[in-house]
Amino acid sequence: MPRLSTLAVFLAALALWHLASNSGLVSTFLLPSPRTVFETLIELAGSGVLAKHTLVSLRRVVSGYLLAIAIAVPCAALFSLTPALRRLIEPLLEFLRQVPPLAMMPLLILWLGIGEAQKIGIIVLSCFFPIFLGVRGGIAAVDRKLIDVGTVCGFSRSEIMLRIVLPSALPAIVVGLRIGLGYSWRALVGAELIASSAGLGYMIVDAENLARTDIVLAGILVIGVLGLITDHLLRDLIQRKAPWLAGDLEMARA
Amino acid sequence: MLEAHHLGKSYRLGDNEVTALADVSLTFPRGSITTIVGRSGCGKTTLLRLLAGLEQPSSGELRRSEGGPQRIGVVFQEARLMPWLDVAGNVAFGLRRRLPPEAIAERSRAALDMVGLSAFAEAMPGQLSGGMAQRVAIARALVMEPDLLLLDEPFAALDAFTRRAMQNELIAIWQRKRPTIVFVTHDVEEAVLLGEHVLELERGRVVGHEPVALPFPRDPTTAEVNDHRRRILAKLTAPSPASAPLPEAAANAIAT
Ligand SMILES: Nc1ncnc2c1ncn2[C@@H]1O[C@H](COP(=O)(O)OP(=O)(O)OP(=O)(O)O)[C@@H](O)[C@H]1O
Ligand SMILES: [Mg+2]
Repeated sequence: MPRLSTLAVFLAALALWHLASNSGLVSTFLLPSPRTVFETLIELAGSGVLAKHTLVSLRRVVSGYLLAIAIAVPCAALFSLTPALRRLIEPLLEFLRQVPPLAMMPLLILWLGIGEAQKIGIIVLSCFFPIFLGVRGGIAAVDRKLIDVGTVCGFSRSEIMLRIVLPSALPAIVVGLRIGLGYSWRALVGAELIASSAGLGYMIVDAENLARTDIVLAGILVIGVLGLITDHLLRDLIQRKAPWLAGDLEMARA
Repeated sequence: MLEAHHLGKSYRLGDNEVTALADVSLTFPRGSITTIVGRSGCGKTTLLRLLAGLEQPSSGELRRSEGGPQRIGVVFQEARLMPWLDVAGNVAFGLRRRLPPEAIAERSRAALDMVGLSAFAEAMPGQLSGGMAQRVAIARALVMEPDLLLLDEPFAALDAFTRRAMQNELIAIWQRKRPTIVFVTHDVEEAVLLGEHVLELERGRVVGHEPVALPFPRDPTTAEVNDHRRRILAKLTAPSPASAPLPEAAANAIAT
């Protein structure tokens, strides 16, 4: 449950918005009142338009995010276990990391078209690195002294991996996963703004073309709330499965 | 029996070569308890790491003359607990699934009892004091029922009373189960109280061997213990002919 003070801050922001749009200082076309936006939101929800776009976006985020995990985690594990491979490939990865995923959009559109593959591609590109670096960094930072403990207990390599390296690396992995989730939302909406025929990003540009600022704002609200909810679900999962990590989670805000 | 033959270990530190251990030949008879004393940096931990098989010697070799695999228990200089496991989980860490779960629980409970921490089975390592964490590490080694028990200043973080109790407990375990024990300490009194043999280490070399034939448990206030202490201290403080010459830089510094 959000705390009372948090609630108060949100209400204050809402009140400020209300005052700004009602004072006549800003045209209601540029900044519709909260009331108008909420009415629009209800209308969009009632007609099923909102649900349709939200579901499209959510499906893209979930599949892109899971695909990125499926690629990044084995890659990072492989790199951690084979230093030679890491030295060979890592400079190239460092180069790719400097390129903002949205700058790759034109290429992605040429290669993958403007369908689902391109949307999922942009999500994978944008959350690959936080997840990859989280796992890599976590494994690299494992305390050698703890590994000694496993060695004197006669553990095999895989036992050391499973019982010492993995749990030690978990905080960094979790941080990477959480940052990656945030990135994937942002990249998706960006991709949908540029080339799409459905999704929350599309709903926003389409409204802009129709000069419907109320729909734009409604879309922004939904994106923010969905981001908060997914982040909350991930945190909840971690808190239940690995309560000792709760402290490390706060690092994961990006 | 565990034997070291001309054991040497050096490390690269930048452009320099640091000799942590030079030409150490030792015998640890089966079921014996040996203590090793020496000042900070003389190579005690290095010797223990070699005995534990955590490090390969740069020269010389180690021989184990008993057949079959050996169970080794190590208590490191720091507690090295797994921060994601509670105390009970840490104690049982090395037992794995070799034993049925009830046996693991039973043995862990007994080991925790031995170090006086039964009430803390569910505590997390972050909630323990330094001395408590160290005792958990001792329990983790004891629970393995090792044939070879290597301890690196295990009681350094304990107060005088707990330390006394733990020393007596260690001797009791040794008399009951007869593991081979190698116990490193920088405290000469502790070395005399616990060792059948006290080895003095200085700058990577064994510079003295003091057999202590007193019965256990030993009383630190007796004259015999004091005699041994005095003899060991004299050997450790006297300039030893076996010790390496000073590095050139240090020798120059003294000359000018
Ligand atoms: N991994 C390492 N790399 C480089 N030098 C090392 C390493 N381990 C130990 N040394 C060096 O070897 C020497 C002996 O170190 P060691 O840890 O064995 O000392 P110690 O007798 O255990 O000291 P203390 O009582 O302070 O624990 C020191 O000069 C140390 O700098
Ligand atoms: Mg040491």
